[in-house]
Amino acid sequence: MRGVTRREFLAILAAGTAGAGVSRAQEPGGMASRGVRPQPRGKPSGLRFHARFTDVAAHAGLRAPVTYGPSDRMDYILESMGCGVAFLDYDNDGWLDIFLLSGTHREGPVEGATNRLYKNNRDGTFTDVTAKAGLVRQGWACGVTVGDYNNDGFEDLFITGWPQNILYRNNGDGTFTDVTEAAGLSHPGKRWGSGCTWVDYDRDGRLDLFVSNYLVFDFDKIPATGKDPNCNFKGVPVNCGPRGLVPERPMLYHNNGDGTFTDVTERSGVGSLKPGFGLTAVAADLDGDGWQDIYVACDSTPSLVFRNRGDGTFAEQGLLSGLAVNEDGNEQAGMGIAIGDFDTDGRLDALKTHFAEDTVALYRNAGHLVFEDVTLRAGLGVETRYVGWGDGIADLDNDGLPDLFWVTGSTFPEVERKHPEFPHKTPRVLFRNLGGGRFEELLDAAGSAIAEAHSSRGVAFGDFDNDGDLDILIMNMNEPPSLLRNDVRGGGHWLKVKLVGTRSNASAIGAVATAAYGGRRQAQAVLAASGYLSCGDRRLHFGLGAATTADLEIVWPSGVRESVKGLRADELVTVKEGAGVVARERFRS
Amino acid sequence: MTGDVTRNVAALFPIIALGFAGAAGMSQAQVPSARVPSVQVEGSGTEAHFSRGVQLMQEQMFEAAAGEFEQALSVNAADPKARFEFAVCLLSLGRNDEARKQFEQVQKLAGESRYVTYYLGRLDLLANDYASAIKRLGSVAEDPPFPDTAFHLGVAYISSGDVAAGTKWLERAAKLLPRDYRVHYRLARAYSSGRREQEAAREYDLYTQLRDEHKNTEKDVRDCTSGLRTEPLAAAREACHRIYDPNDADKLTLLGQLFGDAGAFAEALDPLKRAVQLDANSFEAWHNLGVTYFRLNRYKEARGPLEKAVALRPEFYGSVVLLGATLYMLGDDEAALLVLERAHRLNPADAQTAAVLEKLRGRKKE
Repeated sequence: MRGVTRREFLAILAAGTAGAGVSRAQEPGGMASRGVRPQPRGKPSGLRFHARFTDVAAHAGLRAPVTYGPSDRMDYILESMGCGVAFLDYDNDGWLDIFLLSGTHREGPVEGATNRLYKNNRDGTFTDVTAKAGLVRQGWACGVTVGDYNNDGFEDLFITGWPQNILYRNNGDGTFTDVTEAAGLSHPGKRWGSGCTWVDYDRDGRLDLFVSNYLVFDFDKIPATGKDPNCNFKGVPVNCGPRGLVPERPMLYHNNGDGTFTDVTERSGVGSLKPGFGLTAVAADLDGDGWQDIYVACDSTPSLVFRNRGDGTFAEQGLLSGLAVNEDGNEQAGMGIAIGDFDTDGRLDALKTHFAEDTVALYRNAGHLVFEDVTLRAGLGVETRYVGWGDGIADLDNDGLPDLFWVTGSTFPEVERKHPEFPHKTPRVLFRNLGGGRFEELLDAAGSAIAEAHSSRGVAFGDFDNDGDLDILIMNMNEPPSLLRNDVRGGGHWLKVKLVGTRSNASAIGAVATAAYGGRRQAQAVLAASGYLSCGDRRLHFGLGAATTADLEIVWPSGVRESVKGLRADELVTVKEGAGVVARERFRS
Repeated sequence: MTGDVTRNVAALFPIIALGFAGAAGMSQAQVPSARVPSVQVEGSGTEAHFSRGVQLMQEQMFEAAAGEFEQALSVNAADPKARFEFAVCLLSLGRNDEARKQFEQVQKLAGESRYVTYYLGRLDLLANDYASAIKRLGSVAEDPPFPDTAFHLGVAYISSGDVAAGTKWLERAAKLLPRDYRVHYRLARAYSSGRREQEAAREYDLYTQLRDEHKNTEKDVRDCTSGLRTEPLAAAREACHRIYDPNDADKLTLLGQLFGDAGAFAEALDPLKRAVQLDANSFEAWHNLGVTYFRLNRYKEARGPLEKAVALRPEFYGSVVLLGATLYMLGDDEAALLVLERAHRLNPADAQTAAVLEKLRGRKKE
């Protein structure tokens, strides 16, 4: 009798106590999501935000969807990463045109899927001039950087992608020519180029080229969806990677000045480090020593900072700078990078976006290439719901304080069927700058276009309608792009600055302009790439708030320093290197 | 640490299942109830809700755990233990304002407690109120309730702009938590800010080494778990034994749990025995060692570890019922009856325990 009872008892215990039966943590998946819980939201400031965004893409003629793999699933990581966008003035008419990258389908060409160039009609609409410009091309385009590499006065295009990158020379007559092969920029085999940026790293007045590579990709060799823990998210089989796949090294090409480039990856030290999952690359003088540094957002590996030694070589100082990982020393799934001066102390800060269940990282530049992670202190820990991509530090309401904006969207459309809390399409995120290093998330106070849900990737900031504020161009996966027209009220003043290099590269890429206004000093850099694999308006935009004048200090990539005093607000000024202000323009409205 | 209040084993291996004792509770493991000033008010309903709450916290199901503690408090609002655990749950859920109110209530009910002061200091830090965080954490730093008190105090000082004081406390934290890469990273950043390049370089090296070890362990655990699921034990053993570190109680406990989860109890024994030698206050290690002996039918040897586990966590139903079963298997029916009656109070819904109790009571009458 007793023996039977004991066996019964053991069976009970085996089922209920010992062995399995306790909750099991989720498998990690392929992305560095840290399972961070959001900080509680504070009381709203109650302050009015004077920017209103309306999506005018359809009205503007941007109606073609951006194809990027199937719309209902993403079987391969290549199909999930999307691509960038660019604002550029390819015809030098003073109005921003639009360049949109595109993907395709694994199974074969998709009708109408191509990179697209839209010419600004100067009336709020655009005309698709892709074919006329010679830019029709279908493939897996990824990133874009805009710059005048041959100093002929016209902006050229470099596009990364899988399996090849492309260099388009602007012919100055509305057309472009693919000069990849002739420039020495084609490579053997297949490679997944991701981030790219023009950068004059040796200060010879010519734009060199930095390219980050994401990972080794081959449709036939990537593990199948759901195959291992790197191919699962919240228990749902999803595309594999980046963890578990083979990371890549970045590359650096030196501009020879004759239309060709030389691979200096090894010589410069860029190729000597441990491989990582590199995405967006941004070049700027982060330590203020007059030499261009390069910051690369890496996805689930520590991000990289290449400090320019000034002798043609770089030292990787991600960890030492504080920009490689978050404040706890954990790497994050770096996607997009924005560079700007959020605390208006005259130094360039950085914002990096990451995966869901994690915060973005806001890094304050403390000087000497020391950056502090101030994400939580700034109040950004309240938002952890979405996968973040293209971002910007930009004064959207012209109050003189740069705000923070990023776009979002899941990489796993399959997940929302089981977990509605992880939707594929998610809203944009906007944090208004309250001053004092603090931000406040605006969920519905900046117009309907902010709350609209898309699965977005690239983002570019620029004033496409020349009305004195910053509009936003966004890539949406398998949908037409969004063009968020900004209508600013409230009377905040502004100043736009277009820099033209003479000793420096003509695009003035790498120049830093610091505007002094109303007791503030705000630095901005001319960037050839930012956000997520994208490129924004080369004209710098300073919101001035109540100030009606501003002084400007410019450090050109050549090292030349120049000051301009007493600039009137609400104008676009063109400053030519060594010649001062050469043009002023007041916009119509 | 960036909004994450999980610590100890769960923090070291945040993505890893902790096995057959369940995931280590974020605070529970470090906050034995006995240390929290308590006003003893018994009531079977309260005790059961409290026990279930503890169990759910162990499994990191904080929402459900909070519900249990709330129910316990609805029966007895003056129970500081339940209120304290409720507050910790709320903090884990990011409901910081509510957590603060509950911790303040605990203070009113039970007087000053360094555990409550610690959590209020952490809440201050999360609310960017550095002055208050420094005051609170500083007041308990000499006799810290948890080993990471110095770390949070250091972070509070750094955040307030006092790099020198922050560095001092982070240096102390690095001594108390020498294997926590986060501490070394923060200390390296503090040295960098103070332009103390050599010391920064040393700490970056330590951070990198510990971070790499952590990542390697994560991979080893994935390989071990996968191997135990899909391969014969002999093949999985090699991958699993890469986790074995004779000087790291957390890793040893984890290894034991992975084996235990896979039913490889004989393999689990050695790491768990070593773990309790290294950390005599590890509830998870003692409980799992008891489970392991029990599953190997070595009831005599199971008794001691389970008694230790119950002493450390008297509200944890799983340990209590298993101790009762062990005593029963050893033929000590009288002791088993007492323990199982306690188990039944902790979990009155367990029909099987109730049935066994019924039999034991009947036999006693005979």
